[in-house]
Amino acid sequence: MYDVVVVGAGCAGMRAAIEAYDTGASVGVVSKLHPTRSHSGAAEGGINAALGNTAEDSPEKHAFDTVKGSDYLGDQDAIEIFTAEAPGDIYQLEHWGCVFSRNEEGKLAQRPFGAAGSPRTVYSADITGHVLVHVLYEQLMKRMEEGSLVVHEESFAWRLMVEDGRCVGVVCWDLVRGGVKLVTGRSVVLATGGMGRIYRATTNAYSCNGDGMAMALHAGLPLKDMEFMQFHPTTLYPSGVLITEGCRGEGGYLLNRDGERFMARYAPNALELASRDVVSRAETTEIEAGRGINGSVLLDLRHLGAEKILTRLPGSRELAMTFAGVDPIYDPIPVRPGAHYMMGGVATDNWGATELEGLYAAGEVACVSVHGANRLGGNSLMETITFGRRAGRAAAEHALASGRRGEVSDAPARDAERDLAQLLSRTDGERPWKIRDELGASMLENFGVFRYPDRMERQLELIQELRERYRNVVVEDKGEIFNTDLTQALELGYMLDLAWCMVQAGLAREESRGAHSRPADFPERDDERFLKHSISRWGDDGPELSYEEVRMTRWQPEVRTY
Amino acid sequence: MKVALKIWRYDGATGEKALREYEIEAPEEATLLDCLDIIKDRHDGTLAYRKSCRMMICGSCGMRMDGAAVLACKTRMAEIAASGHVPVISAMGNLPVLKDLVVDMTPFWQKIRAVKPWLDTGYVEPPEKEFVVPQAEMDVIHKESLCIMCGCCVSECNSMEADPDFLGPAALAKGFRFVGDPRDRATVERLQAYSDEHGIWDCTRCYFCNERCPKGVDPRDAIAKLGAEAMREGIDSDMGARHAKWFVTSAKTTGWLRETELVPKTQGVVRSLKEIGFAMSLLRRGKVPPPFPPHVAKDVDEARQLYELVEREGHEGARGIVQLEKPLARLERHEAGYEEAAARGPYGPGSFPKPYLPGENESTEEGAA
Repeated sequence: MYDVVVVGAGCAGMRAAIEAYDTGASVGVVSKLHPTRSHSGAAEGGINAALGNTAEDSPEKHAFDTVKGSDYLGDQDAIEIFTAEAPGDIYQLEHWGCVFSRNEEGKLAQRPFGAAGSPRTVYSADITGHVLVHVLYEQLMKRMEEGSLVVHEESFAWRLMVEDGRCVGVVCWDLVRGGVKLVTGRSVVLATGGMGRIYRATTNAYSCNGDGMAMALHAGLPLKDMEFMQFHPTTLYPSGVLITEGCRGEGGYLLNRDGERFMARYAPNALELASRDVVSRAETTEIEAGRGINGSVLLDLRHLGAEKILTRLPGSRELAMTFAGVDPIYDPIPVRPGAHYMMGGVATDNWGATELEGLYAAGEVACVSVHGANRLGGNSLMETITFGRRAGRAAAEHALASGRRGEVSDAPARDAERDLAQLLSRTDGERPWKIRDELGASMLENFGVFRYPDRMERQLELIQELRERYRNVVVEDKGEIFNTDLTQALELGYMLDLAWCMVQAGLAREESRGAHSRPADFPERDDERFLKHSISRWGDDGPELSYEEVRMTRWQPEVRTY
Repeated sequence: MKVALKIWRYDGATGEKALREYEIEAPEEATLLDCLDIIKDRHDGTLAYRKSCRMMICGSCGMRMDGAAVLACKTRMAEIAASGHVPVISAMGNLPVLKDLVVDMTPFWQKIRAVKPWLDTGYVEPPEKEFVVPQAEMDVIHKESLCIMCGCCVSECNSMEADPDFLGPAALAKGFRFVGDPRDRATVERLQAYSDEHGIWDCTRCYFCNERCPKGVDPRDAIAKLGAEAMREGIDSDMGARHAKWFVTSAKTTGWLRETELVPKTQGVVRSLKEIGFAMSLLRRGKVPPPFPPHVAKDVDEARQLYELVEREGHEGARGIVQLEKPLARLERHEAGYEEAAARGPYGPGSFPKPYLPGENESTEEGAA
């Protein structure tokens, strides 16, 4: 038994593991991927901290921008902690060797980003997530060498183990060898990331299926603000991969089919650097009004010149050339909004603690809430580091204080073996891919950038149908070794349950706030009724919804314009 | 479009192997990874391969196509399908296969860990804020820090095929990422360790790693930089180092490579005595010039000036090998018409019109692209 088990090994998971280890705990990391394959590595544009290296800045300014960006749904005490601790966390990453880009003085360079009052996004060209994942894995390897940090890679965590009201580990399926195994600990940190794969058009990796959220939901824990899925304004047509906000931070334009910088009509001051929800709505409006090209608008970098594109945005150029056949030095890039980031997640306090003793969460799987109804670009990487560290610290302290425990029951392993054997023994029925594709297409259609009551109702019904079909799903691969056919089927089950929570919470939120926009029936924000977090809990008949107050410190809601 | 693939299937449980052919219908923009997904969904759920980001950054989907390593998510299939060629897809080389296209990466990561891949700032206490380092000094490790650890270079490494203990291109490139980092203070220890047997000098310079790297890391260049830095630090006892060193000395002093002296300079006098018979037979057949008197090239001054120039400009060690090209600029084009775009420039005839702000330019006739 470890002191701390960390589930997931992206930025949040690795940061939590490092901190727990440095606090004195033995640590087991469980991840369905090798750590460097985690989707944190696909983050491009940067990581926000008020260092003031490029222009004057302060944690207070960063906090205000974040509160306003969240459409006042973010918990302000969490946001103040976040922005105050961010600079120190960045310096630590730099001391560990992170390869950040430098300004002319040789300090960390900072670029402007959407809805930020000052250039505060620290970056490494446009592969910031990649350099973070690798520096964190370097630090992990250093500690693995020392001994009491072990990584169980390619182990698919499937269920939480709860005993006497405490979380004591996870039930895993060993992808490499096959078979169920238990990884137990005195504390568990969930850091499994997001769930963009619930949508057909998404920037997210194939592995972003909401595993941790679903595990927590089924262990009786509350999920918070699940209706808030961020649509990123610049995902490449047709593949859907991310083209960084850094392109606009460096001065890129958004154009409609006429070559007009249409953002001037939607956000006259911030233009292309308005908040993501605002830009995604503007693009969708342009496309729906027939001013798009192939259901896309254009991201124009030509005026930046070859030198800037090659030094600051080489990865974006590589993506555009490989997947769209467009060289942004010579031609604009076709882009459209795509599902990108789940603002909601497992409800935690400011130390990542959940309602269940011994269970913590950090990163995209968690909802502290820093992002509220709309996340600012560059804030998610920072959140993984700052709250990954806090959750790792809290989990280690809990584990070290809780003392030795007797043996943990292995009944969860037998239950899991029985359930998996039953699934694998089924030979008649439908394979999962069609259900997955229908879920993805319908979520995009009915629960996308704009949300209409009739479509949301239809989506709820459809999810029930899909869940019904899922009961008879067939796994074709019956083998033990690297059976992704099995794990993909399990992931689909997660996504169907989470989709239900999302649409239910969306239908009940009768207002427009941040990423949740209802132009037909409730076009305005309604602070009177909905300045509240939605809370989804799994009941006897599916998710049950309730509400919780937003924690406010210094900023009262104002009209939000850019 | 119709895509046909042959895939080497391997069952790790039974050891059975089979080359299976699949024919599928795929969208025009499909990559190799998209095609594998279609096969797994609609034709054969038992096919095993790794995938995650599908955007060339996670490094999961390294595999071989027609015997050479590729990232499946980076490989567009349209041209191949149109040509009628049926590519053979197999697992990466130099690593044990677990199932189908999935290899055991354990030996790969063991070698990465063997180079102590974490920053060692030695006795230096980190400053209160960041280490201040000019961008130009960080550019030295720009290419190495692009590595996504996909294993494509290792798959194709000829030295590793001959010597499975060779550290290999990925680990050595990772090593240079620290040797070249001005914040790292373990340079000499690192260079000494990497210069041991199975290290820097065991690379055969076949350049397959540079060729197959999907990210432009150029691992062979990183190995060259390590070699240059090692010699600059005086770590040159390995035969490979002595060999390289003699090349430089010989070219500088005579303008020629003096092969007869190369062997004793590289292997030492005692060992090269054994080679005398062989050397004599080469001499008899006119394959080597007589060693005495040393032959000096007519324009030897030019060679010497080159050497001095490198010294004067400060391009010693790794800096002499850093090519300042931006690796991602060297992308293969995937669509016809790319060269035309470069020829017409960003705003030439046929380009998308120049942008305007609302009200700034009402004439949009030329607009619709």
